[in-house]
Amino acid sequence: MSKGTDGRSGRRTAEERLSRLLVMLPWLMERGEVPLAEVARRFALTEAEVARDLELAAMCGLPPFVDEMIDVYIDDDVVHVGVPRLFTRPLRLTAPEGFALVAAGRAAMQLPGADPEGPLGRGLAKLAEALGDDAVVVDLPMPPAVAEMIETLTAAVQSCERLRVRYWTPSRDEVTERTITPRRVFHDRGEWYVAADDGRSGERRTFRVDRFESIERTGEHDEPEQPGTVAEEHDWFADAGLPRVTLRLTPAARWVVERYPVEKVVERRGGRIDATFPVASERWLDRLLVRLGTEAEVLAPAEWRTRAVDVARRVLARYLEAASGTGE
Amino acid sequence: MAVDRVERLTNLLALLLETPRPLTLAEIADELEGQYVGKESTRRAAFERDKAALREIGVPIESTVLTGDRAGATAYWIDRKRYELADLHLEPDEMRALQVAVAAVRPAQGREALWKLGLDTIEGDAAGDVAVTATVPELPALPTLREAAAQRLAVSFAYRGKPRRLDPYGLLLRNGFWYAVGRDHEHDALRTYRVDRIEGDVRIDADAPFERPADVDLRAAFPADPKELGAGGDEAVARVRVFAARARGVERELGTDRVVQRHADGSIDVAVPCANVPAFRSWVLGLLDQAEVLGPPDVRAAVVDWLEAIVAR
Repeated sequence: MSKGTDGRSGRRTAEERLSRLLVMLPWLMERGEVPLAEVARRFALTEAEVARDLELAAMCGLPPFVDEMIDVYIDDDVVHVGVPRLFTRPLRLTAPEGFALVAAGRAAMQLPGADPEGPLGRGLAKLAEALGDDAVVVDLPMPPAVAEMIETLTAAVQSCERLRVRYWTPSRDEVTERTITPRRVFHDRGEWYVAADDGRSGERRTFRVDRFESIERTGEHDEPEQPGTVAEEHDWFADAGLPRVTLRLTPAARWVVERYPVEKVVERRGGRIDATFPVASERWLDRLLVRLGTEAEVLAPAEWRTRAVDVARRVLARYLEAASGTGE
Repeated sequence: MAVDRVERLTNLLALLLETPRPLTLAEIADELEGQYVGKESTRRAAFERDKAALREIGVPIESTVLTGDRAGATAYWIDRKRYELADLHLEPDEMRALQVAVAAVRPAQGREALWKLGLDTIEGDAAGDVAVTATVPELPALPTLREAAAQRLAVSFAYRGKPRRLDPYGLLLRNGFWYAVGRDHEHDALRTYRVDRIEGDVRIDADAPFERPADVDLRAAFPADPKELGAGGDEAVARVRVFAARARGVERELGTDRVVQRHADGSIDVAVPCANVPAFRSWVLGLLDQAEVLGPPDVRAAVVDWLEAIVAR
């Protein structure tokens, strides 16, 4: 998920500058004086940008009524605001901002440990009063077997405890035993994952929670991770070391680019697209190709062009063996 | 030198917030001396651009067509009550919970929203409190659909090349996809639309209010398992043999009550809903050569045909 504009890159539009000013002013008016550096940090701007916009705000108002002006000045790198006027309250939430809060809140209510009677539930109820009862439902299904493991994993994230696990790796179709230190549990596109330091490889790895055969606590603890490393797990699929595959997809197969991390999409005639994906495992690719059938064609790399045919032959072989017969 | 556009926008905003009565463009140009200049059409174009900019950042600008001696002229103002964020009276622990929620989901506009509530995002050490996170996809149509659902107003949009009208009862995120659920006007029935497949803009129809039925349950609007979609009864069930390598995983996925037979070699036969054949086929092919559809014959034949079409290409 994108992190929004940080205001540091490129030119800021008049709309961006004004809307930032309209949240900055009420906040400053409530405080009276704030170091310039703190204002800049909080509102993701440079000090020069803050200074420029506040100086501009000081010139605004309704001439000839000078006492209607916004009373703000910067002295010795501290922002001072006199009598609060005009923009004493922030502008109401825009539709996207309202949606952001509601969707984040509803999703968080589905995460393990959320309590409808707790602070988040109460906060969301107050938000609903202001924004209207909109019936936004976020469904993050958690089968009971998974829920139990997530509870253990979450507790381990909080205490940096090492866990001994048995994990089924689909690409090799084998179960391995390893020791992991969970760092973050997350839900993405219907599945639960844990990002963990893997004792086997010594690297950060992503595991699908429903593929753990067993999880055991060890009572041993690792160091908390360094701040700044926490936000990386959403890029787990964008590993530069992975091979790439380029598929030509018919309109009926376009859903693939919504469903899986895609690196590049090129529009072709007749609603077709050429899409390039990182291939986390060849087994994933095999499954995808056989599901897409004639709706997809491998363009590159060349050695994978007949892959779908090979996979389909292998599956068909099951049906041609006499052993299982046809039905009851 | 021309006035900085941000300054002109701020002045216009201040004027419309403070005015005791609606103002025409001529009056606005008068008040903001030297900021809307040139001939009528030039001034009008600049003003319309500014009005659009203010609306884009969320400023509600009211307008009315005057009568009497200035009949026909449009006058503008901003209602401070509609402009300002209502005080939500959030307690400190509730604020903290919202911050954690935004940190866990990281929506694109989350930080701007928190700023307006007087909060900031939590980062660094404090972010360690966020042990569990979720990815929530964002789409341009979602905020508009949410507003329409909250205000109980019908929407119209294009979907698969056809215009649709819907009373949006709510939005449901399931398996990574957002669905709009509501009463479809044309069919007068409950319908579900994939929001990412909506073509172009969603328009709210302010003249078409609706009542949401008290008993509407979004989660039940369609089955959680896509293989059950379109199931009229419980007879559409396929028997699938799952070979030993995947037997354990499939049993865990489906539940032990779906296992109809266990074989000595470790393989199992399971009963799987197959009313929605494409969804069923996709599921069974996901097991590659570790599964075989045993019956019913037409479902088995459909899977074989699919595979043969790949080989024949």
